[in-house]
Amino acid sequence: MAKLLIVDDSTMLRDMLNYALNEGGYNDVVEAVDGVDGLEKAKNTTFDLIITDVNMPNMDGLTLIGELRKVPAYSARPILVLTTERSDEMKAKGKAAGATGWIVKPFVPDQLLKAVNIVLSR
Amino acid sequence: MAGFDISKYREMFVEEAEELFESADNLLLEAENTETLSDEQMGQLFRDVHTLKGSGASVELALFAEFTHDVENLMDKLRNHDIEFIPEMVETLIDGLDVMKELLELEVAEELTRDTFTQMTTELLVDLRAYINGESVVSSKKEAAVPVETETSTEKKAFDNFNQISSDTDSNSFGFYDDDLEKKKSSNSYGFFADDQNIMENDDSEAFGFFDDQLQEAAKVAPDLPIRDYEENDDFGFFDDMPDITPESTSDQPITSEVANQPVVQEVKQEAPTQAPTPVAPVKKSVRKPKEEKATSKKSAATNNIRVNLDKIDLLMNNVGDLVITNAMLTQFTTTIEDNKVRSSVLERLELLERHIRDMQDSIMSIRMVPMESIYSKFPKVVRDISKKLGKKIDFKHYGDNVEIDKAMIEGLTDPLMHIVRNSLDHGLETPEDRVRTGKDETGSITMSAEQANGQMIITIKDDGAGIDTDKVLAKCINNGSIDENQAAQMTDNDKAMLIFGAGVSTADAVTDISGRGVGMDVVKTNIHKLGGAIKLDTGLGIGTTITIMLPLTLAILDGLDIAVGEQKYILPLSAIVESLQPTHEMIKKIGDGTQDLLMLREEFIPVVRIHQLFGVEPKHMELEKGMLIVVKSGNSKIAIFIDEFLHQHQVVVKPLDKNFRSVEGVGAATVRGDGSIGLILDILGIIEAQKKIDRNMLATKNAS
Repeated sequence: MAKLLIVDDSTMLRDMLNYALNEGGYNDVVEAVDGVDGLEKAKNTTFDLIITDVNMPNMDGLTLIGELRKVPAYSARPILVLTTERSDEMKAKGKAAGATGWIVKPFVPDQLLKAVNIVLSR
Repeated sequence: MAGFDISKYREMFVEEAEELFESADNLLLEAENTETLSDEQMGQLFRDVHTLKGSGASVELALFAEFTHDVENLMDKLRNHDIEFIPEMVETLIDGLDVMKELLELEVAEELTRDTFTQMTTELLVDLRAYINGESVVSSKKEAAVPVETETSTEKKAFDNFNQISSDTDSNSFGFYDDDLEKKKSSNSYGFFADDQNIMENDDSEAFGFFDDQLQEAAKVAPDLPIRDYEENDDFGFFDDMPDITPESTSDQPITSEVANQPVVQEVKQEAPTQAPTPVAPVKKSVRKPKEEKATSKKSAATNNIRVNLDKIDLLMNNVGDLVITNAMLTQFTTTIEDNKVRSSVLERLELLERHIRDMQDSIMSIRMVPMESIYSKFPKVVRDISKKLGKKIDFKHYGDNVEIDKAMIEGLTDPLMHIVRNSLDHGLETPEDRVRTGKDETGSITMSAEQANGQMIITIKDDGAGIDTDKVLAKCINNGSIDENQAAQMTDNDKAMLIFGAGVSTADAVTDISGRGVGMDVVKTNIHKLGGAIKLDTGLGIGTTITIMLPLTLAILDGLDIAVGEQKYILPLSAIVESLQPTHEMIKKIGDGTQDLLMLREEFIPVVRIHQLFGVEPKHMELEKGMLIVVKSGNSKIAIFIDEFLHQHQVVVKPLDKNFRSVEGVGAATVRGDGSIGLILDILGIIEAQKKIDRNMLATKNAS
């Protein structure tokens, strides 16, 4: 069973993500409330996929990705950014930070699952 | 979204939004005072509003998100120093948040139409957008209606996304923006990225994407999941290696936010649509440096938080209460063990168990405790709004933010505190002119503080306003018959001031006739008493008013003293006890028809209440000299209760009586004792009130005779 970490400062969004992922059969989902929390949790457990928000207190999502990429276990693991913006600029930033891909927020559950399925089936 | 119960998430969002609003409001209020906004504050403001928008859109509150987008836009520009902060913006932003709150409420209730939305937001949008475009706001209020529509269209790109998601709700009105944006898209906005196939192809309509060829390909061929029919677009796209993203799009604006920068980015593109792409900027440049690292340690403590329904903690508390009781039963049971050695070793272990249970009780208690900050944070906004309306200048300060209070009390406490502050603002504090005239600083102050002392929570609300004209209050009370001249003559200034908490003085008319203060103050008192607390008021005419609220630290446990009257045992809350004594003959004075006793203690007359009379039980002693008197107080009132003897002191788990039985005069709550029997906890306030009634009747008969 794939282990997933979702990082978002909104409880509601974490709940929604969790719900959607559970619906898609991903039941091993851990939540983190910001980049710092996410980094700590990611260091303790090796997740197969991390989905992170961008704008968060303490440590934003892009910094988190940068930090994760420094950790050997995550040098090549998939990390998706959740973004409210589809702009090219954002995409460029996500890529520059080392993200595997992006998901637009508000997300559509089946699209989220599709993205997750693809990235995990590789 | 099959199986997706959006209303559940909306509820969560509303709750979350409240916190975010509070945070943003308080930042803005601070900014209003200091007329500055630090980078850190701007960042926080942006995040708050950004989360409001993102989460709002996620629960399909499209209109709320639409307006919030503009507010966010301004905050983002400020945060990035694209525009200069000017103090006037704060007002607009505060108004913006107010409108957001209203929109949220209406949209959640599904009462928000596009028309109402336009009405509510048009004026503000003009101001917001003027600021966003770096103009100062002159007052565009009148001509607002038309220009907004067009402006909206240019800046609403991000809402395509939202429209897509919630297209079923309001598709027509959103279609306007979409169309306009479609035109923009098809012109030259995206020529910039011509080299990047994937971006070109997918641009605005992707729901997700990967920065990898293979994945991107996989996404294209992967069938949509059957959960929902998702038509048309690749709702996602994949990047190939993206060597072609131009530096202009990344490193030139490394810190700019994705959303709010939209207009700027578009402008750039229009000016230079054919600019040649150059290789991508080094990775690190576009990664934001976290300058908040200092705050990390503090904040990461919060990261381990979970939200727990208070009911669950109550249940846990109850369970521990039952454990305490069972433990006590066991302890009592040991008396039947004949073997001394066995008995004492069992007792020893039971004591250990008791200690563990107590520790557990403390731990659970601490879960229930939340910092006062959570109450305080509601006030700055209220103070600002009211003082603005009244044209008063008020400085609101609070102390003891970290003092902890039982979560269960917050609800019951917020209203009375709010009431007191409102009263203070409305009636207590003077207008700047009046203050200057009386030689005061033109800015009035309201100070709220909290501290824990003697196992009590003490909350003080102090203002430096006009104070209460106690004589006028007194006159009013005599007028409406709630007290008579004789009583009035005996009253201290404090007693008189306390009269404003009486029901008779609380109607608005009566209050404005006299010096102010008192609208619903009796409700304040009642609420505080319901929490097992007491309220005290000190006032000086022209100097100000201080209201002190004393509360038990928790509603769940109390330290009680077992007292015996005849065969019956009652529990007296320890916090109410002032002292206990066995009176001598000289200390007792009989008044009235000889049935009412007064205890004379250090030149103070304290009415004696015979518990056996009150509850109709047979006492061991009838003469006061043979039993015990315990002086108890609630607020400023004292009585001496007459009992046979007092037994021992112990912690009791409070169980409400009216929930399980019915309310009984003089009894506040119940508990279960070690032997399984029910112990009644005396309600001192109730007994005092009952005594006061007797006093009044007696005085009345005395006067009549």
